[in-house]
Amino acid sequence: MENKAPSISKVFAAGLWQENPVLRLLLGMCPTLAVTTAVKPALTMGLSVIFVLFCSNIVVSLMRNLLKPHLRILMFTLAIATFVTIADLFLRAFQPEMSAVLGPYVPLIIVNCIIICRAEACASKNGLFISIIDAIGMGIGFTVVLCILGGIRELLATGMIFEIKVMPSFFVPWAAMRMPVGAFITLGLILGLVNFVTGKKT
Amino acid sequence: MDKVYVLLMGFISIVIVNNLVFTKFLGICPYLGVSGRLDMAFGMGMAVTFVITLAGTLTWLIDNLILMPYGLEVTRYVCYILVIAGAVQLVEMYLRKFFPPLYESFGIFLPLITTNCAILGLCLFVNLWGIDNFPEAAVLSFGAGIGFTLAICIMAGIRENLNIADVPDSLKGAPITLITAGLLTLAFMGFAGMIK
Amino acid sequence: MLKAIKHYIEQSWLLIVSSFAFGLLIAITNAAWQPRIEQNKINKLNNLMNELIPNAKYECIMTDVQVDLGKGKIAKSNVYKATAPDGNSAGFCFGAQGAGFADKIELVIAVDAALEKIKGYSVLSSNETPGFGDRIVGDYFRHQFINAPMTNLSLTKKGDDKIIDNNIVAISGATVSSTAVVNIFNNYLDQMKKKINEKKAE
Repeated sequence: MENKAPSISKVFAAGLWQENPVLRLLLGMCPTLAVTTAVKPALTMGLSVIFVLFCSNIVVSLMRNLLKPHLRILMFTLAIATFVTIADLFLRAFQPEMSAVLGPYVPLIIVNCIIICRAEACASKNGLFISIIDAIGMGIGFTVVLCILGGIRELLATGMIFEIKVMPSFFVPWAAMRMPVGAFITLGLILGLVNFVTGKKT
Repeated sequence: MDKVYVLLMGFISIVIVNNLVFTKFLGICPYLGVSGRLDMAFGMGMAVTFVITLAGTLTWLIDNLILMPYGLEVTRYVCYILVIAGAVQLVEMYLRKFFPPLYESFGIFLPLITTNCAILGLCLFVNLWGIDNFPEAAVLSFGAGIGFTLAICIMAGIRENLNIADVPDSLKGAPITLITAGLLTLAFMGFAGMIK
Repeated sequence: MLKAIKHYIEQSWLLIVSSFAFGLLIAITNAAWQPRIEQNKINKLNNLMNELIPNAKYECIMTDVQVDLGKGKIAKSNVYKATAPDGNSAGFCFGAQGAGFADKIELVIAVDAALEKIKGYSVLSSNETPGFGDRIVGDYFRHQFINAPMTNLSLTKKGDDKIIDNNIVAISGATVSSTAVVNIFNNYLDQMKKKINEKKAE
């Protein structure tokens, strides 16, 4: 990893598909399941994660040569917690409704494994540019999955997408999709589908 | 007497009715990753219970004695995560010194506990629920750990049997675990409304 | 001794420097956005209260009023006095809470100036079962409280929801949530009446 610089398009695509944080690495499950009751909170969550991932990757990448190994994780956590606090303040100031819906799941981005994992696996070993590309790729990969999951759940639970009614009037909403059970089963089936498409045998 | 009643109800509520794993999606990563073997799951559960009790009470104290009186709520998240990381370090050192076999068996999971959402989540929820007395915060923290252990052990027990079940190829591994988890939350929903 | 200090500084200077930097960053963002966040909170409460008593001006007359919820639990809430545009008192609003089916239910309750009739309630936060318990937010249930007498309310399973009296018809399928709302009213009305009368006498 340290010797040869990976190509930019490869790094970007890895986050979207081959190493998609949710579908392939099974990271960041907690927000994935909790905030996907509808598309809007899912999108807000995704954007917040992109912001935090972007900033923390930059900071970690800049100070990667100064880091002492045993203080590494502490440093990462400190940086991440700072940016999460800023993201949380931003949401509370400019998106109060979304902030109320997401509640404690915004600060929980701190312990989202994706961010610390990318800091450790990519940003602490690569230069600034690669780290930024990696953050964007991973962030978008995460956001897209979140929105798909949120879309399916919102559609089935309320018959609406982005709070606009799309299902025919005879459609009876499945309230269960808005409860925890809906999150688990939908994600399970999506993962199964991805495995089926790629023909991956585990 | 009333106080004891409130504490007892709070404990039962967080273990069963408002179980963090089943209703708040906290601690899903280890719940899906580690819970392949029952003994391992129990060890992990115990470690989490210890850290969560320590972290929950400490963060409550810091929050109420330092942050709130001085209006420093904005640094809350940073403080919480530092307390948790410190508590995990402490447990790790303690185990390495006094219980080497235990340390060997789940030593690799210990650093992971820092990023276990259940712990930070519990600290945040204690703050969100506006718990304003120390015993309640302590009982809730301990109960959350027990609830996590319960969830992870149930899951491990099921997965030990799933290994010999005939699951469609593409659903093997994580997908079937998630679907099982979904059915479990459905079962646990039966407890909702049990405690007024 | 000096050597030890030097060693610690060498190891941790990055951590200390960045702690200060991150601290500063949080402080600046907080200073910039805190007024907005406070304003958002006030706006939200004002909007909710304006739904209950339209076109009134609100003024906080009592803070941290203690209300006994039974079983040793004590809740605190603020009381707001509503003043109509013509200068007359239009009523009072206060926050109220109680245990619902899944989690705590938080309401804003409005009563008239003479403390004889209820003017309605809004849900500040609830986590009731989607499709069942969350209908306490809906008009069917809320209408029954508007202009109901400020006495002990009781819940019936069958009855006419159009008749406004102290009998509240439960939402079918959500008896527990309906009971919770009625219990919150019964808990708060008497105690608040006393507290507000005391305040008036002053």
